[in-house]
Amino acid sequence: MQVNILNLRKDFGATRAVDDISFSFSSGQIIGFVGPNGAGKTTTMRILATLDEPTSGDATIDDFSIVEVPEQARRLIGYVPDALPMHRDISVHEYLDFFARAYGLMATQRRQVIDNIEEFTNLTGIREKTLHTLSKGMKQRVSLARALIHDPPVLVMDEPAAGLDPRGRVELRELLRILSGQGKAILISSHILTELSEICDGAVIIEQGRIITAGTLQEIVKQEVEQHTILIRSLNQQDDLYRSLLLMPNVATVNQLNNEIEARITGSEEMCSDLLTNLIRDGYRIVEFKQQGGDLESVFMDVTKGEVQ
Amino acid sequence: MKSISNVIEQMNDRLNPIVVKELRQAVQGKVLIVVVICFLCLQLLTMGIFLITDESIAVSFDAGLNIFRVLLSILFGTCVLFVPAYTGLRLATERADADVDLLFITTLRPRSIIWGKFLAGLILTILLYSACMPFMAFTYLLRGIDLPSIFVLLALDFIVVAVGIQCAILIGCLPANRVFRVMLGVGWLIIILAIFQFITFFSLSLLQFGIGSQLDSWKFWRGAFGVLASGLALIGIFALLSIALISPFSTNRALPVRIFITAVWLLTGIGAAIWSIGINDFTPIGVWATLNILLHSIGLFIAINEREHLGWRVRRTIPRRRLLRPLAFLFYSGAAGGVIWSSLIIALTLLSMVEWLIVFPHMNTGSETEGIGGLAVVGLYAFSYVLAASLIRRSFLADRVTGAYTWVIALVLLGITTTIIPLGLFFLYGEWKEEWLVASPLGSILSTNSDIVPFSLIIASFCAVFTGALNLPWFFRQFSDFHAPREKATSNPQTSESG
Repeated sequence: MQVNILNLRKDFGATRAVDDISFSFSSGQIIGFVGPNGAGKTTTMRILATLDEPTSGDATIDDFSIVEVPEQARRLIGYVPDALPMHRDISVHEYLDFFARAYGLMATQRRQVIDNIEEFTNLTGIREKTLHTLSKGMKQRVSLARALIHDPPVLVMDEPAAGLDPRGRVELRELLRILSGQGKAILISSHILTELSEICDGAVIIEQGRIITAGTLQEIVKQEVEQHTILIRSLNQQDDLYRSLLLMPNVATVNQLNNEIEARITGSEEMCSDLLTNLIRDGYRIVEFKQQGGDLESVFMDVTKGEVQ
Repeated sequence: MKSISNVIEQMNDRLNPIVVKELRQAVQGKVLIVVVICFLCLQLLTMGIFLITDESIAVSFDAGLNIFRVLLSILFGTCVLFVPAYTGLRLATERADADVDLLFITTLRPRSIIWGKFLAGLILTILLYSACMPFMAFTYLLRGIDLPSIFVLLALDFIVVAVGIQCAILIGCLPANRVFRVMLGVGWLIIILAIFQFITFFSLSLLQFGIGSQLDSWKFWRGAFGVLASGLALIGIFALLSIALISPFSTNRALPVRIFITAVWLLTGIGAAIWSIGINDFTPIGVWATLNILLHSIGLFIAINEREHLGWRVRRTIPRRRLLRPLAFLFYSGAAGGVIWSSLIIALTLLSMVEWLIVFPHMNTGSETEGIGGLAVVGLYAFSYVLAASLIRRSFLADRVTGAYTWVIALVLLGITTTIIPLGLFFLYGEWKEEWLVASPLGSILSTNSDIVPFSLIIASFCAVFTGALNLPWFFRQFSDFHAPREKATSNPQTSESG
């Protein structure tokens, strides 16, 4: 199963929400879709879920175009929106039964599928509870269960970890790992970048509707890390160390923190090694020399400006 | 037994999922239970009071009739107020919730959603009817009323409730904010109360004359079929409008609505013509034309808000045949096509009236010609205002106002020329002149001075020609863009939600 997003563009009046986005992912991959608020993540995901039509461009799911044959394409997608199910007077089981009926599942198959999904998402114990009485984490599970009801090969999840407590996040991460292991292609947007770093195979970072960078996490981190942030702590001469660092080549900025100094070094990792050698040679008694960042979060902070459309 | 359970299971599978969900929610909710209990108590109380207090009940021949009148009012009042309000409010709440989008990524079609809601409403009505049935049967035993009267009046009320449910669904589907919805709800309540009063009065009048004795008369069945056909037509129009409102923006939302309305226009026109010949009077044609011209003039204010560029999903269904393409342009979603379609219906309606009076000159008493002039003014002004609004929006407000809100500009223009300027002149000169309403679509109809009609007609015609000419490039551009795509979707031309 291959999902290709090709030159996708979406205008709302004079505002361009999505601007010529192209990327692809396939079965078994979890792709993080990252960007500040208003970057165009939800719009892209809604287009992919066939809820909105692109202004131009297309997305194909195994050759089924979301523009040309949305009916076929939408059968292959499970969409988890950022809004949680809020229905009153309907139990978890009835809610899932409703969507199973809506997807045309017949009685025996419907019962079996719902039972399996309730078990998989750990909803069996609360199947008779009404939706509006559930916690956020439970509602998120119901939302995921609903998206899985027709066993789609592609999952599009918009902020599924928002509002979840640490346990909920760990459980969600485990579920996603299992689903990925089952061969589902998963596109997931989240603000909790540490979560994404742990489960995603790749990421697409967008801002103002445009892709800033995309690739596997290693590729992104590698290509974006041209500056290294180093935290240095010495036993003595903190002020001298600060002044020395300012005079050193390749050191872009120096900040004095509580009992540490933060230095940003431009260039390769060898420069960091040379810096440490020079400091020891100059007689500084270094007890800590730690590279900061190099993860998705720092890359995100580096490449985005936090601007919205 | 196994085969019976299989049949039940198959039936269960075929049920509209929306009906199942709605009924489950209704049963689990407290509102329905409270209403049913109150309804039963009220009927029991009514029956009890009658039986205890009316001493002549054993000898009276119309005790059943008297109790039936009260029970029917309770049943109709409960059904017509509660069921539509409950259905409409539930839908409006769901529409406000982003979760409703999820329905569109299932295999459910918008029409299944609307018909499901409607059916669920009907089932709730049947539930209330069935709760009332023992009491109704008892009234028959108390004498004074026959079974045909009971069934005919229950059927009449059922049709009115069904129309009310579909109307409430339509209001629930409107993409409006909470304040506007509340205003619409209040308006709906006032109309429903008026209908309740009218239908109750009408039902009691029917009872006065007796229904059973009229069952073998053609007049009765003509009226009954008329009510049924009107009810079905209204349900159809409301349902199609609701479906169009909840359908995704990228679909061809206008097509079924325009086909249905055109069919209703044609069929009701034929019906009015037959009726007019039958009674040798112009009134049926006049009523038909007036209703259609007023509705399509409002339709112009709706059509102008539609999108100007069609997406791939609609364009791929445009007929490739040369002859069918212009026809499809009128019926497909799109502002220009919609404006032409509504204008064409208005023009054809006016033409039908004129032709009718030429063929049957004895039906023309003089006021008919004036009426046609007044209706022409309404249509021409509606056409002018919407095109002027569209032009203003595209020329000066394109960045600030999306196409979906062109109607607001049209209403502002209408407000300026029909209210602010005449009021300004009134305060300036200290006297009121009907001529100041010359720029109002309804000025010529409301005016008592018949000389104002030709004057209004000239000005309205000039405005229509002027705004039409200025908008010609807009019409041409949309028509030239209206063709089946020749290339792949990836090179889709611009489509914008600004309409």
